[in-house]
Amino acid sequence: MNNRNDHKANLLLVDDEDGFRTTIAKRLGKRGFVPMQAVSGESCLDVMARNPVDVVVLDVKMPGMSGMDTLKAIKQSYQKVQVILLTGNVAVSDGIQGIKFGAFDYLTKPVEIDHLVNKINQAFEMTRLEEEKQKELVYRARLEKKMVDTERLVSLGTLSTGIAHEINNPLAIINESAGFMQQVINSPEMSGFAQKEALLMGIGKIEKSVKRARRITHQLLGHVKKQDTQFSEVHLAALLSETLGLLKKELEDKQITIDWKIDKAKNKLWSDPYQIRQVLMNLLNNAVHAVKKNGAITLTTCETDDAVTLEIKDNGIGIAKENLGRIFDPFFTTKTFDEGTGLGLFVVHKILSGLNGQIKVESTLGEGSAFMIKLPKNGR
Amino acid sequence: MMIKIPAKVLIVDDEKDFVEMFSLRLEKQGEKVSTAHSGREALEVLEHEPIDVVILDIRMPGMDGIDTLRQIKKRYPIVEVILLTGHGSTETAVEGMKLGAFDYLMKPADFEEIKIKLENARKRKDEQEERIRQAEVRLLIRRSGDI
Ligand SMILES: Nc1ncnc2c1ncn2[C@@H]1O[C@H](COP(=O)(O)OP(=O)(O)O)[C@@H](O)[C@H]1O
Repeated sequence: MNNRNDHKANLLLVDDEDGFRTTIAKRLGKRGFVPMQAVSGESCLDVMARNPVDVVVLDVKMPGMSGMDTLKAIKQSYQKVQVILLTGNVAVSDGIQGIKFGAFDYLTKPVEIDHLVNKINQAFEMTRLEEEKQKELVYRARLEKKMVDTERLVSLGTLSTGIAHEINNPLAIINESAGFMQQVINSPEMSGFAQKEALLMGIGKIEKSVKRARRITHQLLGHVKKQDTQFSEVHLAALLSETLGLLKKELEDKQITIDWKIDKAKNKLWSDPYQIRQVLMNLLNNAVHAVKKNGAITLTTCETDDAVTLEIKDNGIGIAKENLGRIFDPFFTTKTFDEGTGLGLFVVHKILSGLNGQIKVESTLGEGSAFMIKLPKNGR
Repeated sequence: MMIKIPAKVLIVDDEKDFVEMFSLRLEKQGEKVSTAHSGREALEVLEHEPIDVVILDIRMPGMDGIDTLRQIKKRYPIVEVILLTGHGSTETAVEGMKLGAFDYLMKPADFEEIKIKLENARKRKDEQEERIRQAEVRLLIRRSGDI
């Protein structure tokens, strides 16, 4: 009788007087309720620990654990459960006290059955409303978080591209200076110089570090939006082939299978091919990096009237749950500095929001990841 | 060993330190280098010195790289221009190539890459000059034939 949909199953009747309790239960039964029953506060909590309960009809005056204490215990452990108190005729103050402790309402004994049924229905309605409210709250919180994330990422994007650009000029000066020194040291006049190797080593390290910094700035800037984004017809399958072509060496090295589940004649959209290629490049690059030798990457599309969804799925290392919320952050990476910059997905996210697209990710550690991108067909 | 014929290179960038180090490096490499720190200065240099290849920063205060490129291509169509960009405006670079630039490089650039592009730009200019010379020769022959 644990059917969640049949709310009438989740009613619990608590009273120590067997006669009263069974009579009420029988009458409720005639009206379509089949309540569970408990003879004391303790057994009430016991039943609740083992069964889903939405509404409790609770006698206040019971030996052992009192009704009021039972109410408190229920409200502490099961906030969503509604409790209707049954009080003695002379103890109306108990009912009021109960409402203060979170009871839904109270009825005085002797109980009018229609009255009770009414109250129970109201209480059920209340649990339903509460549940909906809860769902909406969760949904709204999630939406807000997503919006905050997006906003944060966008402003971070503007800032970081600005900085990257300012850094490239001094980097170029360092680069040319080191390169020039290297030329001088390597010239014939310096051939007798004792510390030559040491100097060259130092310069080599400068150049290596410049390259490392450059990888970061160039990747950050690689996606900067054109002033006038060039929209044209984009053939998703063709772009995918092209991008895979650029990754040919990596694919061959790891002997990766590409599983095409795409109708190559379809999936055309009106968008910016330059930026979409960048998105595909970054996602495929990650997938290639994630899989082991002989791994597989599956490409699937799904087309509706106004959008195309592409899924890039790999059977690689997967992403740890605690990292899922951070992979789109700039500089978040689990790779070493010569393998990754942590900017790939950040850039992907930035491009997609600019193109009115969306991205979703599903991943299980050790099994693989799937990135789904959705793009509007007409560019908006 | 082949004797290297120096390319006559003009570096244009408002970053003085960059111009200084980059020209030292190219000179050491055997090129003949002139420098300018603005578009206007660049046009002045071009007026007085024979130049094969201009290496031009896209972003400069005043007359920017793209304007300078337009002027250069208008006045000296045969001079090759390689664009340098310090920021992500590869689109601007592409626009520049449509205006006749030979190629572009992103700062900080790999010296090997610079060398190759410089070499190719110079080659293209030489070939172009050669074609013009031959055309002139043909024209001359035809004219003398007319007489
Ligand atoms: N397909 C994938 N499989 C497993 N992990 C991934 C995948 N794509 C992204 N990640 C995780 O997200 C992180 C951030 O990715 P990204 O922003 O592209 O930067 P980078 O690849 O340079 O580290 C990666 O370091 C990796 O931990």
